[in-house]
Amino acid sequence: MRVIIFSWEYPPRIVGQLADYVKELARQLVKNNVKTHVVTYHDYLTGGYDNSEGIKTYRVTNPVRTHIGVLTWVLTLNQEVERAAADVYYNASKQVDLIDAHDWHFVPAAVTLKKALNVPFVYSVESLEEHRSHGANSPFNMAIKSIEWLGMYEAEKLIAKSEWMRNEAYRLYKVPLDKTMVVPVKSTSWIKNILEIYQNVGGGAGFK
Amino acid sequence: MTRELTAVMLTWEFPPRIIGGISPHVYYLAKSLAENGVKVYVVTCDFPGAPQHEVVNGVEVFRIDSYKNPSPDFATWVYLMNVNMQKEAAALVNSLGGNVDVFHAHDWLVANAGIGLKHVFRKPLLATMHSTEIGRRNGIHFDYERMIHETEAWLTYESWRVICCSDYMVSHVRWAFGLPGDKLVMISNGVNAGVYAKAEGEDLSQFRSKFALPDEKIVLFVGRLVYEKGIHVLVNVVPKVLEKVNAKFIIVGNGYMREQLSSLVRNIGLAHKVLFTGFVDDETLRKLQKCADVSVVPSLFEPFGIVALEAMAARSPVVVSDTGGLSEIVEHDVTGVKVYPDNPDSLVWGITKVLLDETYTNQIKANAYKKVQEKYDWNKIAQQTKGVYEAVLSEYSKSSWA
Repeated sequence: MRVIIFSWEYPPRIVGQLADYVKELARQLVKNNVKTHVVTYHDYLTGGYDNSEGIKTYRVTNPVRTHIGVLTWVLTLNQEVERAAADVYYNASKQVDLIDAHDWHFVPAAVTLKKALNVPFVYSVESLEEHRSHGANSPFNMAIKSIEWLGMYEAEKLIAKSEWMRNEAYRLYKVPLDKTMVVPVKSTSWIKNILEIYQNVGGGAGFK
Repeated sequence: MTRELTAVMLTWEFPPRIIGGISPHVYYLAKSLAENGVKVYVVTCDFPGAPQHEVVNGVEVFRIDSYKNPSPDFATWVYLMNVNMQKEAAALVNSLGGNVDVFHAHDWLVANAGIGLKHVFRKPLLATMHSTEIGRRNGIHFDYERMIHETEAWLTYESWRVICCSDYMVSHVRWAFGLPGDKLVMISNGVNAGVYAKAEGEDLSQFRSKFALPDEKIVLFVGRLVYEKGIHVLVNVVPKVLEKVNAKFIIVGNGYMREQLSSLVRNIGLAHKVLFTGFVDDETLRKLQKCADVSVVPSLFEPFGIVALEAMAARSPVVVSDTGGLSEIVEHDVTGVKVYPDNPDSLVWGITKVLLDETYTNQIKANAYKKVQEKYDWNKIAQQTKGVYEAVLSEYSKSSWA
C-alpha cells in the first residue's frame, strides 16, 4: 500500500500538535510496510526532500512569496502540493492508494487529485475553524469553513480523534455520523484502526 | 495523433458574463479554433441564467460555481474561485480519459487552476497575458499588488509559451517578469468586422436622436471607468472641445471613477453635454459606434486597445493615446489620430481636428476600415494560435512527460 500524507506542519517545523502526530503516524505506517510519502511546507530550514526512517518527505514552498493573509498563502501553496503529489503518483506508476489530508490547508489539492486521478482521500480532523475562531463568521472565516466543508463532502471518510469531534462535524457540517471514524490517539489499537480505514478506502480507485 | 487537437481553455469571463476584453477575446478565439479543427473546452465562471453546460458554435462551455460567499477581497475571491474551477476542470478532463493536449489560461485570474491541471495531468500549459498588475497600477506599491504581480510571474514561469496580443505587451511582459525572449509569442487580438458590416446602410437617425441633438457631434468613449483608461483626461477637456465645436460626449461603461466624474460634470454645468450610459447591450453599442463622429481612446496604459479596432470596423474615426498596443494599431494621419497620453491640449487638438476637417476624416476612416479587414481577422489569429499549440506539442513529445 502507498499513501501520501498532506500536512502543513511537520517536524522540524512545529506549529501546534499536528506536526508530531503526523510524524508518529508516518513512522508507524512505515513499520507496517506502508510506502509512506509526506508532502509538507518548506520554510528554508530544511531541504526540499529527505528520506529518513523510510519516510519520503517532500517539502514545497510557496511560488508566490508576498501574501495578504494565511488564506491566500494556503491557496497558492496548494498547486505546489499537487505538483509534489502528482510526481509521486507518476513516479510510482500511478500506484497510489490514498491521500490522508490533515486539516483544511491542503484540501483543495486532495480534491483535485481525486477528481483528476481517482485517488481517494481521507480527511483527518485535528481542529475546526468554528472552534479556532470562536464562531466568528467573517468572510475570512467563512472561506476556511467552505474549504472544510468541501473536504468533508469529497472525502471517503473522516478520521476524528474524539467522539466530540465526530459530533461537531455532524453538528456543523452535517457529516453523517457513520462517515466519521473515531480513532483516539492514545488508544492501543490506534495504528491498527488507521490501517483498517486506509484499507477500506484505498482498496480500489487508485489501481483503476 | 488520430484524434483532433484538444485544448482546455480557462477564463474567468465568457459571454454572457462580460467584465472586460477577455470575454469577447476567448469567445472569438474558441469559436475560430473550432472552425479550424481544434476541439475546445472552455471552463469559466457561472452567470445568472446561463447553463452549466452548453455547446456554443462547436465549443463546449462549462460554467463552474464561482464561489458566492462574501470574500475578504477580490484577490482572495479569485483564489477561492480557482479551487472550484480546478476541481471541475479536473473532473472534465478525467471524464475525457485525460485525452487533452494543452491547457490555455487567460490572465492570472485562472493561474492556480491552470498550473495545478498542468501538473496533475502532465500536459503543457500556455498563458495569454492580457494585462499586468504592474501596468494597471503603474508600478507595484502594496503587498496586495505584489501578490498579484508574483502570481502573474508564477503563471508565466509555469507556461510553455506566453502569448501577448501586441509587440508592446511582448516587451512589457518580458521586462515585468524577466522572461526569455523565445518563450513569448505575439498574436494580435482580433475584431469581428462582420457584425458591423451586417447592418450596413440602416437608418440610424432615429436611434441617434435618442442620444444627441442633430447639430451635436458625437464624441464616444467606450471602456471601464478606471484610472488606466484615462477617462478623467477626456472628461476634463470637455469645456475646451466645446469652445470649438458643438458636441455631445457619450461615456459607455462602468467603474469606480463614475461617481466622481459625473459629479464633476454636474458641478461645471455641463451635465447636458456629457451622458454616462453605464453598460449597454451589444446592439446599442454597435449602433453608437456607427453613429460616433469620433471615438476616443485616451488610455494611459493599454495592452492592446480593442475598442479602437471596433471603432475602425464601425467606420468611426479614432483618436487614441500614443501608448501600448494603440501605438501599433493606429498609424498617425493614415488610419487615425494619435495624441500624447495624459496631455489635455494634445487630446483637444486631436478631437477637434477630426470633427472639423471632413476630408481628412473621411480618408482615415476608409483606410482604417481596410486595415481592420486585412490584419485583425479572427480566422487568421486562430490559425496562428493553433500553430503555437502544435509547436508546443512537438516539443512536449520529446519531453519526459510525454
